[in-house]
Formats: sequence, C-alpha cells, structure tokens
Amino acid sequence: MAGRARELTRLWSKYAGMNLLTLIRSRRSAAIEIGTDVVLNVAVVSTSLLLAQRFNGIGQWDKYQIFFMLGYAMTVNGALNIFFGYNLRMISRRIGRGQLDHMLLQPQPFWRTFITEGFMPFSEPSVLVIAGAFMGWSAARLPAGVTALWVIALVANLIASGGIVMAFQVIWGAIAFWAPMSAEEISSSTNRMVLQLGTLPLNVVATGLQATLVTVVPVGLTAWLPARELAGPGGPGLGALATPLAAPVFLILAVLTFRRGLAHYAEIGSQRYLSFGHRR
Amino acid sequence: MPRSDRSDTSASDTVVELAEVTKTYRRRRRSEHIGQALARFVRPTFETVTALDGVSLRIGRGEVVAYAGPNGAGKSTTIKILSGLLAPDQGRVRVLGLHPLRQRIELVSRISVVFGQRTELWWDHPVAASFDWKRVVWGIERSDYDRMVSFVKDLLGLDDFFHSMARELSLGQRMRADLGLALINEPELMLLDEPTLGLDVLAKRRVLQSIVDMNRERGMTVLVTSHDMPDLETLAPRVVVINHGALAFDGAFSQFRTKLGDPRRLILVTADEQPPALTGATLVRSDGGRHQYAFDANDVPIAGLIDQAGALATLLDVETQRASIDDVVADVYDRWLGERVTQAAPPSGRIRPR
Repeated sequence: MAGRARELTRLWSKYAGMNLLTLIRSRRSAAIEIGTDVVLNVAVVSTSLLLAQRFNGIGQWDKYQIFFMLGYAMTVNGALNIFFGYNLRMISRRIGRGQLDHMLLQPQPFWRTFITEGFMPFSEPSVLVIAGAFMGWSAARLPAGVTALWVIALVANLIASGGIVMAFQVIWGAIAFWAPMSAEEISSSTNRMVLQLGTLPLNVVATGLQATLVTVVPVGLTAWLPARELAGPGGPGLGALATPLAAPVFLILAVLTFRRGLAHYAEIGSQRYLSFGHRR
Repeated sequence: MPRSDRSDTSASDTVVELAEVTKTYRRRRRSEHIGQALARFVRPTFETVTALDGVSLRIGRGEVVAYAGPNGAGKSTTIKILSGLLAPDQGRVRVLGLHPLRQRIELVSRISVVFGQRTELWWDHPVAASFDWKRVVWGIERSDYDRMVSFVKDLLGLDDFFHSMARELSLGQRMRADLGLALINEPELMLLDEPTLGLDVLAKRRVLQSIVDMNRERGMTVLVTSHDMPDLETLAPRVVVINHGALAFDGAFSQFRTKLGDPRRLILVTADEQPPALTGATLVRSDGGRHQYAFDANDVPIAGLIDQAGALATLLDVETQRASIDDVVADVYDRWLGERVTQAAPPSGRIRPR
C-alpha cells in the first residue's frame, strides 16, 4: 500500500513538474491559458448564477443555496481539470485515435497511468481556487452553518461527485472501443452534458426526470443532490450519504465496461491512428 | 527493474517465439455506390481478413532480423502481438519467455517498441524532458540513466537538438530522438516498425547505421520491419519475408537473393525494327529498333543470348541491367499472390527456408 502511494506520488510529482515547465514557457501563454480557462468555466455557471441573483433564488432554493451548488459544481469540474488533462477526461479521444497504445507500452498498471498522466496542477488550478472561494463564501451564508461534520460530508461528496463524473465519462467513452471514428468525440458530448445539466437546480423538474438524472444519467449527483443535502436548513442528514454510496457503483460499472472494451481492443487492435492531441 | 531482479528467462537464447500464430480481422464490406451502400447499411456484410496464418518464428538473443513484406502482409500485426497490444486468435507467443498480454508490465519494461509513424516524445517539451519522463515512469536508476543518455547522445548524435522542443525537430531528428528514448531503459529486445518511413536518404542512412551500432555495442536483439528491401539488407543478415500472413522465406539475405534468382534486363538496339526471338529470354518491350528482354542470369548465360541475337539480327548496341532488389522483390510479391508458401517451425533452432 505504502509502495503504491509512493509510486503514485512519484508519478504525480513528475507530471506536475512537466506541467509547470509547459506553463512557464512564456508569461503570455501562461496568462492566456489561465485566463481562458477561468472565463470558460465561469461561463458554464453564469446562467443559473445570474437568474438566482436576479430573482433571489430559484424555486424553493434561496440564492446562497444556488450559489453553493454552482460553487460545488465548479469545484468538482476544477479538480477534474487538474487530475485528468491531456484528454484523459475525454478518454474516447485517446481510444478513438489509437493513442491507448502509448499508455499500454508503459510498464505501469493501466489505472495508474490513467490517474497520473493527466495531472496538471499548475495550469489548471485557477478554476478550483475561484470555485472553492465562491463555495466557501456561499456556505458561510447557508442556514445550517459550517460544522466539522458538514466539512467531512462536503469533502466526501466532492470526491464522490468527481468519481461519478469520471465514471460517466469512461462508461460512455468506452463506446469508442467499438466505434473509434464515430464515437471519438463522445466524451466531449457527455462532458458538456455534465457541465450544462449538472449546474441546474433539478428540484424544479418532474420527479420521474429527477430520478433519471440521478441514476441513468447521473448528472444530478455531480452537484444538485449533494448541494440539496449540504445546503438545506437541517445540515447534512442521511441523504448526504447518497452520492458517496452511489459513486462506487458507477466506478465499478466504469471499470467493468472499460475492461470489456480493452479486451475488445486487444482482439481487433487500433484500426486508425491520429497523433492529434497526443502529449501536447 | 534492475537486471538482477529479472527472471531467468533473460538467460534464454530464444527472445521471440511465435508458434502457429493466427490472427484474423473481421471487416465490414463497404461500397462507394449509393444503392449497394444502402443495401449494406440495411444488411451489413463482412469479410474475414487473415493477417497472420499459422506463423512460426524464433529469434535468438542478439540477432538482428529484418521482417519484410508488402503493405498489409502482417508485419505490423506481428509487432503489435509481440508487444502485447494485440491478442492472437490461435498459437503460442512468448517474448523473453513472457506472455505479452498477461505479463505486459514486465515485458514492456524489458523491451522497446518504435513505430515509425508515431512518436513517444512529449510534443511541447524539449527532447531532454521526454527522456527524464521515461526515467521516472520506467523507474530507471539515476546512474543507469545518466550512463545511457550519454551513450545514446553519442550514438545517435542527439546533442544538437537534445534541448529543442520535440515539435521543432525534423522527421529524421525526431526518429533519432525516438530511437534514443527507446534505448534508455536498455531493452533486451527492440521492435522497430518502419523506422525509416518518410526519411530522406541521409537521415535514413544515419538511423540504419545507429540500429546496426546498437546491436553491435549492446548485443540487443532487434526485429525491424520495412517494405524497403535495401534498408533491410543494410541492417540484418537474416530476413524473414511474410506475405498474406504466411512466412514465405526465412534465412540469410544471400540465400534470399539466390532464391530470387538473378533477374536482369537485356537491351538490344538492332538495325531492324523486328525484335529477334531469343530462347531463354522474354520480350518485355519493343520500341522502334530498341528491344528489352527479361531473363534470369542464373539460368541463361548472357553471352549465349548475345550470340543468339547476333545470329538473328544486326546488333547496333547491347546493354544489360541488374534489377534492383526492390524491383525483384516487387516481382516476387506479385508472383506470390497465387502461390503461398508457408513454413513450419522445426522442433528447435531457427526456421530454415525450404
């Protein structure tokens, strides 16, 4: 266990160093990279944010609950940007372009390469910093207040939501094993769906649709449900366990689907190779 | 992995072992005609393509083996199977005594694979950064790494561009950097798939010489594919030729040339426009008084042909040309379309040509 952790740390350190080297190539490119990242990510939540501000909330949620949910969604997104860059979050691109071979030719377990190779802690943290500050500011204005239990529940939910987003990305992205060309961009579509639907307060939609959005298409677990449980007046109850309990289920599904895809990949190989986006 | 930790398979003389390996792909039939395409959209039809058809091959430690064949013959499929990227349908595959798919991690720490059309370099980083990345991911000891970097920089002449961005390199420089990167983990086996593809003459010569040097200085086993015969002849004393997924030849280049014969062209310029009919030579082309014949110098003496021609026509000029190995092999590939020669592995040792 300690050996595995050491190996992970060693690889993350290496990729962090390489990320820093890329960022400090020039002040101009660093500023543009960070600036565009912030603008793009804030734009995703701007609709809900402006509506909540204008109408002092949406549905039964007041504006601080909405702000908290948006901060939560941005925090999850920002953390994933840091850990899964270089198209690892858009795994269908790597599969569809035949670039998985590069990962398989490294003397590392595939999962380890998957969680380390896209580590970009220097070029991508801006969103996480802004989102964290925004979430903290709105959390201080929530009716339940911030307690140690609340913080533990928040951290558990954030990790679980991140896991669910990645599981969702991998499950859909694995389609590229069977249809490399047609499904090459499927991960960007699912990612867009998570970003757009995940920042909507789903308490205003019908119950059937709500149920769908926390199970089949689990975008409700990426911000709305955790925020409902954490930002409600009573503080975190048993409902705060829903997302952490659902995450392993989605992750197991993702592992099984990906393994099946990988077995298919070993049978048919890569029928196409594009260098586009590879290690750049 | 330090050499001392490696299993005793590294002491074995056989580095690559393929026994009766078969690999087929199922491919959907396509059509450029809308009617047919629509019919196939509704009722898809498939065809089975045999990439490898009972291939058996052994490569001993320290050998350099050229793996030749026309496009689509099964060369890249073999390389992918050996590197654990692809599973065979049938047959036994062992590389350094390891099962490439089940023991992928150990295998890839002991081999290196270079695909000519792909790069392992980090595009937006200096070449040196990709080398250091490999040191960390492969877990190479710092002292071994420093020694190998110094070695490959000398061997491949990397000093001039070692600190340049990978994206700024020429194709030849990029390939040399990729070869150097492949070497720093001191692989026991190097699999090179079309390493000279797209290189100009000078870059090609340098890359080929580097591969020869790597083998000589490190005793490394090399399996190199190419469809370019002169390249392979420069590199390897042993050539394995694959055609339509089956081994068509395995042996020394000199034997390969003997098997191919000594095809030549005889060009006669005669006073008469009518070409003389020569026994033992085939008329290929006749243009005015200039006639071109094909013949095998191993079977028909040139002097005899000229005597025949002199007796039948007034000769104004005579010229003979030796066909390049590329042309000869292209002719052979054509001939092989119909007659597939499959070689079976002998119980031990190297496969011999029939």
